[in-house]
Amino acid sequence: MAALGSRGSAALPSRLRALWALPARRALAADAGAAEGKAAPPKPAFTDEAVQTLLYKMTGLDLRKVFRPVKKDLKPPHYKLMTEAQLEEATRKAIEEAKTKLIMPPVLNEREPIDDVLAEDKVLEGTETAKYVFTDLSYSIPHRERFIVVREPNGVLRKATWEERDRMIQIFFPKEGRKVIPPTLFKDENLGTVFQQDRHEDVLNMCIAQFEPDSPDYIRVHHRTYEDIEKHAKYDLLRSTRHFGGMVWYLVSRKKTDGLLIDMINRDLLEDATSLITLYHMLHPECQSAKEAKEGKLQGVDLIKVFVKTESQREGYIQLALQAYEEAMATSSAS
Amino acid sequence: AFSAGSRLLRGYRGGHVVIRFALGGCTNRPFFRIVAANSRRARDGKYLEQLGCLDPLPNAHGEKVAGLNLERLRYWLGCGAQLSRPAEKLLGLAGFLPLHPMTVTGAERLRRRRQREQQPEAAPADGSAEPGTAP
Repeated sequence: MAALGSRGSAALPSRLRALWALPARRALAADAGAAEGKAAPPKPAFTDEAVQTLLYKMTGLDLRKVFRPVKKDLKPPHYKLMTEAQLEEATRKAIEEAKTKLIMPPVLNEREPIDDVLAEDKVLEGTETAKYVFTDLSYSIPHRERFIVVREPNGVLRKATWEERDRMIQIFFPKEGRKVIPPTLFKDENLGTVFQQDRHEDVLNMCIAQFEPDSPDYIRVHHRTYEDIEKHAKYDLLRSTRHFGGMVWYLVSRKKTDGLLIDMINRDLLEDATSLITLYHMLHPECQSAKEAKEGKLQGVDLIKVFVKTESQREGYIQLALQAYEEAMATSSAS
Repeated sequence: AFSAGSRLLRGYRGGHVVIRFALGGCTNRPFFRIVAANSRRARDGKYLEQLGCLDPLPNAHGEKVAGLNLERLRYWLGCGAQLSRPAEKLLGLAGFLPLHPMTVTGAERLRRRRQREQQPEAAPADGSAEPGTAP
């Protein structure tokens, strides 16, 4: 259930649209109209304001992790003497910068393969041994609308496939951090090695730099990473990074939220747990706990308890974690 | 060595703008730049604007990569530039212009030559097989 369809793009806030450089609305308007007619209640998409605020709250804002030193040229540290007011000002500015660093990368459906023949010239058969790839190098065209055509040795003039397109655009308009041929790191057998070293965040950053958000490789690498994190319960690796929202969306769409819930309760993040369950109810409004919650208008720990009774697989663990949390709360309030 | 007056600063009398290939690269490794230049300039000399490139050797994926700045190409064609024959053929292959008639003629000639080569092979082959098979 990779959720975002073309409908969601129509409701994007302008900030996100400009950042993700998504294709213009006119191409998607046709799909939007058709889809709205089919689905009776509109399914919440990744880009809805409500969903984004929930995911952003869950991501957390650990300034130390966001501004962790990145490998750069070695310079001696720079010390400043500041008053309390100046320190507050600097912290506020740092929080603003951190918010821009935590903007979530887009979650899109896999792109349709291109299969369009422009001309067939049987006369040319047998003259050439290799195919010609022609790229339009006009500077002011967005990359999605660029003409890239291939003349095959059998004379057929067709549009280039997505892989050929990405390679040609990287050759003529190189982007930083992207290679013409994708690194072997992204093959399935090599991903396991990196996951053992707990470097999920680095893999995801490299993946964002290398692939387009709707390419099958991007989606495959992201899903592999999320599966591995969920298997070993390493949720904290992605907390306070921009990938946390995407991971939560993936888990909630596939109803695998138990491990994450346990992790949140163990770290005393009750608000995050309630936002997780709210998001679950938004995405799956037909489930039993959603109906009960709407009737009773439950909040906080009651919401979690109702959810645990009806929807979760690992009830026992979550009950234990909740008990431990409540005991800790009781002792801390008593002392 | 600085010859009297730099060749780059020369002004030419007459001549017209052509869009043609300028050869670059090294020994056994050609590389063409598609270039708009005065027709009287040296092949690899000073040009007005580079409009693209062509790599005649196939790369690791078996493709010959060519880039064409169609916007600027249209501008120069609108200014009255002429095309060299290889440039016309390349644009015909790309689909920007219709297929050049010499491309078609060349393809047919190649096909006819291959047929002729196959027939003499077939004829001696038949000739040598017959005495063997004939009783």
